[in-house]
Amino acid sequence: MSTALAGSRWIKADLRARKGQALLTVLAVAGIVAALITAATLLEDGTNPWRSLSAQTDGAHVWLYTKDSPQVALGGIDGVTQTAGPYRSAPVTVAQDGKKEPAALRAMPATPPAVAHPLVAEGRWLDPSRPDGVVVERSFADSLGIGIGAPFTIIALSGERHTLYVRGIAHTAEQGFYPEWTPGLAYVLPVMLDRIEPMLGRSEWVTGLRLADPEASQVVSQRVVVMLEDRLQRVYTWREVRSAMELDNRLLGTLLGLFGVVGLVAAALALANAAGGRVLGQLRDLATLKSMGFTRGQIALLLLVEHGALGLLGVAIGALAGWGVMAAVLGASSVAPIPVLAIIVGTALVVLAAVGVPALRGGRTPPIPDVPTGPPRGHLSRLARLALLVRLPPALVLGTRDAFTRRVPAFLTAFGLAVPMMMITIGLGVWATLDNFLAHPEQVGQHAALYVKPDKLEPVVAERLAGQDRDVAEVYPGTDVNALAPGEARSVRVRAIGSSTRPYPFPVVEGRMYARQGEAVAGQGLLDLLGVKIGDRVRLTVGGTPLIVRVVGRTVEPEQDGEVLSVGLDSLAAKDSVPPEYYALALKPGADPAEVRGRLLAGSGEGLDVQAAVNPADRLSIIRIVIVALIAVLALIGLANLLTASALGLRDHAFDLAVLKAMGLTPRQVMATLVTGTGLLVVLGVGVGAAAGVSVVTGLIDLQGHTSGVGAGIGRAPSPLTLTVAVLVAVGAALAVALIPARRAARAQVPVATR
Amino acid sequence: MSAVVKTVNLVKIYQDGALPVPAVRGVDLQVEPGEFVAVMGPSGSGKSTLIHMLGGLDARTSGEIWLDGQRVDTLSESAWALLRRKKIGFVFQFFNLVANMTVGDNVELPALLAGASPKVARERRESLLAALNLTDRAGAAPAQLSGGEQQRVALARALANEPSLLLADEPTGNLDSRNTRDVLRLLSDVHKQGQTIVMVTHDARVASLADRLVSLFDGEIVDDGRIARRRTRTAGEVIDLR
Repeated sequence: MSTALAGSRWIKADLRARKGQALLTVLAVAGIVAALITAATLLEDGTNPWRSLSAQTDGAHVWLYTKDSPQVALGGIDGVTQTAGPYRSAPVTVAQDGKKEPAALRAMPATPPAVAHPLVAEGRWLDPSRPDGVVVERSFADSLGIGIGAPFTIIALSGERHTLYVRGIAHTAEQGFYPEWTPGLAYVLPVMLDRIEPMLGRSEWVTGLRLADPEASQVVSQRVVVMLEDRLQRVYTWREVRSAMELDNRLLGTLLGLFGVVGLVAAALALANAAGGRVLGQLRDLATLKSMGFTRGQIALLLLVEHGALGLLGVAIGALAGWGVMAAVLGASSVAPIPVLAIIVGTALVVLAAVGVPALRGGRTPPIPDVPTGPPRGHLSRLARLALLVRLPPALVLGTRDAFTRRVPAFLTAFGLAVPMMMITIGLGVWATLDNFLAHPEQVGQHAALYVKPDKLEPVVAERLAGQDRDVAEVYPGTDVNALAPGEARSVRVRAIGSSTRPYPFPVVEGRMYARQGEAVAGQGLLDLLGVKIGDRVRLTVGGTPLIVRVVGRTVEPEQDGEVLSVGLDSLAAKDSVPPEYYALALKPGADPAEVRGRLLAGSGEGLDVQAAVNPADRLSIIRIVIVALIAVLALIGLANLLTASALGLRDHAFDLAVLKAMGLTPRQVMATLVTGTGLLVVLGVGVGAAAGVSVVTGLIDLQGHTSGVGAGIGRAPSPLTLTVAVLVAVGAALAVALIPARRAARAQVPVATR
Repeated sequence: MSAVVKTVNLVKIYQDGALPVPAVRGVDLQVEPGEFVAVMGPSGSGKSTLIHMLGGLDARTSGEIWLDGQRVDTLSESAWALLRRKKIGFVFQFFNLVANMTVGDNVELPALLAGASPKVARERRESLLAALNLTDRAGAAPAQLSGGEQQRVALARALANEPSLLLADEPTGNLDSRNTRDVLRLLSDVHKQGQTIVMVTHDARVASLADRLVSLFDGEIVDDGRIARRRTRTAGEVIDLR
């Protein structure tokens, strides 16, 4: 108790004396924690949108479809807390821009229900005063390319056409995204549904059950099957919906994880460095405390509490900020508690470990306060001697010598700057890779910008129309089929496009392009799945017909986790390849795909179905935001490191400064000495970090590409210009920061006999 | 009456690489309650090492140390720390005030550490600072004080827990003559109130203030004698060698 009282006095006094540094420590830790939480939540939300959608819509956990309105008390099943519906649902076809998409028209009341209520993202909900309104599910609306107010033409089973108007676009957690999950979903008022589909026999009834424990969904759905028997059409649980929504975005996940872990390591380094530097600066005070009766353990505890409290405060602020930002952006329920808790506990442990080491070292301070705590004096280092040899100004020589007098802090400073710089370089490399995807889609297998399906027209006509457009450079007929692989329970995609003699220009990164019938190229994912390598023969079954090809090369394959085999159309049996399913259009350089698409649609009288290829970079655009945020946090960590380094440098040289001045160095030269001491470490750290980043970034992205099936060969290092600018900005900012305390020190009147 | 501090054949050997460097070579010293002992000797004679060992700041190589009738040389570092809180006050050449704490906090710290309540610690600090004529500087940072004032604060801090033994290591080594005189007068006043003091110095005038002078040379006591209490103001001439 008495020690706690005395210790708290000391901690208070110490914190008061270094408010700025303490604040920076707190901010750096808070920044990292906030970034980690943001990243984890974005990742969770991006890859598992079901969770937040379900929370926002108070979604049901089990959905069942029956032939008529269920007459049994489904709400009475154990574990069911609430029910949604039953709602009547009728199958229709939506005709839009010449495309026909299957859809389910759902009757919903004008007042949204308590359970599984669609979340209106744009526009408004159904209104009885305007019965021709329709609310379209978000992904379905995106796929159709329609907005609020757009006409929505549907064809009922009877063949009758009705035109409704889009009043709202809504999210729902009851089914997966279109077109992975069909049919698409649209909501109308019951009155409207009765008018469109008067035949009750052609519709189904949909009921949602909300459970107390989502884990019980399997049991509940079994109960439903038993209770409804043959009146039940189908039943599915939230797990199916979730897995349908899940995005296989391992690149994003790995990247965020990597940034998070390395950021945490960098923050730990910065904390250890800050606490260690502070302890070095306090050795005399610590010795005095010991001479007054503090024990070794009490000193260590004191330091651990002081520095640990700063770190933990940072963790708390960061957690609050991260949670607050995410709750504000995505809604309070979208923040997953378990990853956030894991991050908080993990960072708290890292913080305590990082300050524990210097605290223990501080505890071991000998209790004799008069032992000088200056840096070890030594000879001029080899580097300094070299500097003298080449006749550098004395200030630089002295600074060079000073930079390395304390080996461990010098290392920590350089290393502490190198790690953030390496991560920044990697971030820039990822950015460059994404840019490269956009600038050269042909390098990721997207030579063709548009895909044309004949739809209402004859394939020959479609090919002729496409070939006649002035901006189309090449037309490749193609067909995608599913093939069964031997020993695999699931099918793989076989993409037949172009011909073996006039092949579609796949980006082959290993081996060669196929040149004749019976040869194929494959993505990394397929090679891994089948356990084959380039040169091997593969036997697949396409609709009962064997397809035997030799894999002669590997392509960069961003689709289907790389589990795609690409062949020429002539390698496929005629029944599968004639007529071609689509035509891939390679455009002339500089042509605008949207313009060509418009022209083709107009030219064919909307008879063609023209789709633009989706660049993988577009799906990954969230990474760019993450990169910018993380670079900011990493810069903060670097700054914290730097301030520690320059504070330590000043402390070590406070006594030398007077001597240097006495020897005739001008204040400017003294300043130069101090800045050189820190600056050298900065240049070293930044240089090593950038070099390490450049050397690993391509490999790292390729490794990631390999594991995600896309395959190696996509990684790009940041351009020399970007890198040079990044290094210059880092060094420049660092020197500017080092300059401020150095200026003050050089101007200060330091008496020789301060000790 | 038992001795406040007693050493038996105290030895300290530093290890400089493979080379043993003896600093203190078999010192037998006994200090009675209320005594003011000055330890003198040239640089490197082992006087600082001796006083550090007496306060437990440095571990002895062999020999015994007894404090208030209790054997203390076998104590652990932590046990020494606990002992120092109540029984030993230190004054150093470079004052060693905790730079970030105010003068008042510096004086209160040992009292708090020894278990006094904040109220008692505050009262004790006020009486000490008043006695040392420093009341108006209580809120100042140590760096704002002159050397003499800092040393007076250090003295107040050392006396905060009324220790049985006050150890002073060159207390005037860093002061000008006026401040030296002030600090010595205070030491002398404290001594008159019955405080046992062991002071290391290499200044004969400072040493003349003590009751007894112990001379160290190469780590051994070469001379130990009482100083006659006839105070002629010509220091250094009235040493009565036994």
